[in-house]
Amino acid sequence: MLWVLRMLGAAVLSVSTGAAACAAGSLEAPVKATYLYKLVPFVEWPAATFASPTQPVVLCLLGGDPFGAVLDQAVRGQKIGARAIVVHRLARAEKAAGCHVLYLPAPRAPAAAEALQSAHGAPVLTVTDQADGAGGIVNFVLRDNRVRFTINSRAAAENGLTISSKLLNLALDSRAGR
Amino acid sequence: MALLGKLQIRWSLIPAIAACGAMLLVLSGLAIGVYDEQTYRAQKVREATAQGEILAATVTAALAFDDRPAAQEYVEALRVNSQVVSAGIYNQDGALVADYARDRGGHADPTVALHPPAFVGRHLLVVTPVAEAGQRLGLVAVRIDTDPIARRLSRYVGLGLLLFMALLVVGVLAAAHAVLTRTNNDLADANRNLQDEMHERERAESALRQSQRMEAMGQLTGGVAHDFNNILMIASSGLDLMERTDKPERRKLLIDGMRQAVERGASLTRQLLAFSRRTSLRPEVIDLAAQLEGMRLLLDRSLGEDISVALDLPPGLWRVKVDPSEFELAVLNLAVNARDAMPGGGAITIGGENRPIGSDAALPGDHVALRITDTGSGMTPEILSRVFEPFFTTKAVGKGTGLGLSQVYGFSRASGGDVRIESEVGLGSTIFLLLPRTEEALPLATPELSPVTRPPGAQGDVLLVEDDEGVATLVSGMLTELGYNVTRVDCAAGALAALEANPAFDIVFSDLVMPGEMDGIALAREIGRLWPSLPVLLTTGFSPGVAAAAEEGLTLLTKPYGIGALAAALDGARPG
Repeated sequence: MLWVLRMLGAAVLSVSTGAAACAAGSLEAPVKATYLYKLVPFVEWPAATFASPTQPVVLCLLGGDPFGAVLDQAVRGQKIGARAIVVHRLARAEKAAGCHVLYLPAPRAPAAAEALQSAHGAPVLTVTDQADGAGGIVNFVLRDNRVRFTINSRAAAENGLTISSKLLNLALDSRAGR
Repeated sequence: MALLGKLQIRWSLIPAIAACGAMLLVLSGLAIGVYDEQTYRAQKVREATAQGEILAATVTAALAFDDRPAAQEYVEALRVNSQVVSAGIYNQDGALVADYARDRGGHADPTVALHPPAFVGRHLLVVTPVAEAGQRLGLVAVRIDTDPIARRLSRYVGLGLLLFMALLVVGVLAAAHAVLTRTNNDLADANRNLQDEMHERERAESALRQSQRMEAMGQLTGGVAHDFNNILMIASSGLDLMERTDKPERRKLLIDGMRQAVERGASLTRQLLAFSRRTSLRPEVIDLAAQLEGMRLLLDRSLGEDISVALDLPPGLWRVKVDPSEFELAVLNLAVNARDAMPGGGAITIGGENRPIGSDAALPGDHVALRITDTGSGMTPEILSRVFEPFFTTKAVGKGTGLGLSQVYGFSRASGGDVRIESEVGLGSTIFLLLPRTEEALPLATPELSPVTRPPGAQGDVLLVEDDEGVATLVSGMLTELGYNVTRVDCAAGALAALEANPAFDIVFSDLVMPGEMDGIALAREIGRLWPSLPVLLTTGFSPGVAAAAEEGLTLLTKPYGIGALAAALDGARPG
């Protein structure tokens, strides 16, 4: 089981590391796909969020799917502690109630904006590609042909999420000069 | 001896113990060294593992999000630890993401696999997995420096020095033990040699004593032969002359001469026996002054004209109990010796004094000291130390038997006294004869027994047992002269046969030493059993027989004896 995991991880990572050398356009989506679930270990949800230690982490996509099968492949078999990761592709914002991670590829779209609005104060890690103030808690940014991110700590705190300092250290806005 | 044996066994174990001790020391030293080294390594592993784990924990996000600059920043942070030689961060594919090397231009290992901490040369390589919430993200490898071998060894210098000193002590002890063992063996050898020498000396001394005895035998033989020849000369010439004369007065003179010669012979044998201490003394209470006064004539005659004898005896000398004839002989011997020490003539003084108890440590009670002083040549210490040895003499062969002083010594010791000599060369000698005092009274003077010729057969029948034909003839003559009817047999068996045939004898007079299975004592015992009322008188010239007869309670007449003594002995043996 472990070796399968490792093989899968290796496959995904090879894709992700390959992104550095190749043109960002083609590889941007797969890298973001892996980053989506890789964010999960560095985030702590309020204790009441999960009913049991084995309850899966629900990763929701709203307002488009730039990944396709890549995301499903990337999360398949991945475990965060004892939790598996399941991907839900949502059509409407009101469906976002059970999501732990909510990815909004186009946050300015009305549905996404509504979802962001409704997620405010709820234990949901919102992820967008919008680095300005209109974005979510984690926002992917392209910098030097690499996918980086910013983190809105205040928004995270308002949602009751604790984000690991390790992750915060990597965030662009928390690192001077980058 | 057993203890000594055990001790020697334990002693011989010491080298083995020392070797074991040395080995234990070396082993414990090695063990301590190995333990220290292990502890050092374990500590290094802990340090390196901690370093690796810190790096792995900090680098998770950087690995997860492929943030190489961040990873590089983290790995560069290890610079503060000078022990870190190199460190590398590897992603899940095993590819190097960021690395740090302490040396300029150095690199971390290009690839690593997860394995337990390992020492590679001087370095310790620790590979730590990177994981966040159970998600494997990659590996971190940290290579840290261990102390150079010289520095590590220097930590053991103290221990090694201590070990060396301990080994040195063990070595020195072992060497000392070896020396001691060798000394011990040498000592044992020396002791053995000494014992051998002692045995050798004992043998030599014994041989010397033997040769001295032989020399003395030669002297004695010479002296005795000379004296006996004189006696025999007197006897044989006297007999020859008696055959040629019929004059009674002439014959009387010759008989007197011969009797004197015989008495000299008897005295000589008595002396010999006295020196062999085989005569039993017949002590009597005597008054020394009277005894010596009685000897004055004898002394004057024996010593010659150019020797003057002075008696210096205070009145009131204590009485002593000694054998009178032995006493006279002792005095005579001392006087003769004194004379011989004064070839040109001189004076002999015989003095005496009472000495109360305590005046001489060797004597337990009151005693009388008789002092015989001469003005002669004196004696050297060498001679003084030997004068009491039997047969020791300084006189020429034929002049002395070497038994004189020995008789004095034997007599004094047998009487419970002692002898002391003081002598100085050129000034003369003084000899002290110490005799114990007696409280007993002087015996009443007994009239001298004079043999009376009695008519033949008046005294009864005597059975004479005597093997020697000559003696038997003479003794038969004396018995007949005393008025006995004599029946003579030549052995004990013959005596018993004669008694069987005719038990009506009045007395049996038997020699003690006889051929045949029975001697005189056995015969007397047998007669006592068969005819208890028949008296037996034994006679012998052989001293051990005297003691044996005395033990049996038998009456004994010592040879040689005269007719008067024979008559008295026979009368004494017969009851009533």
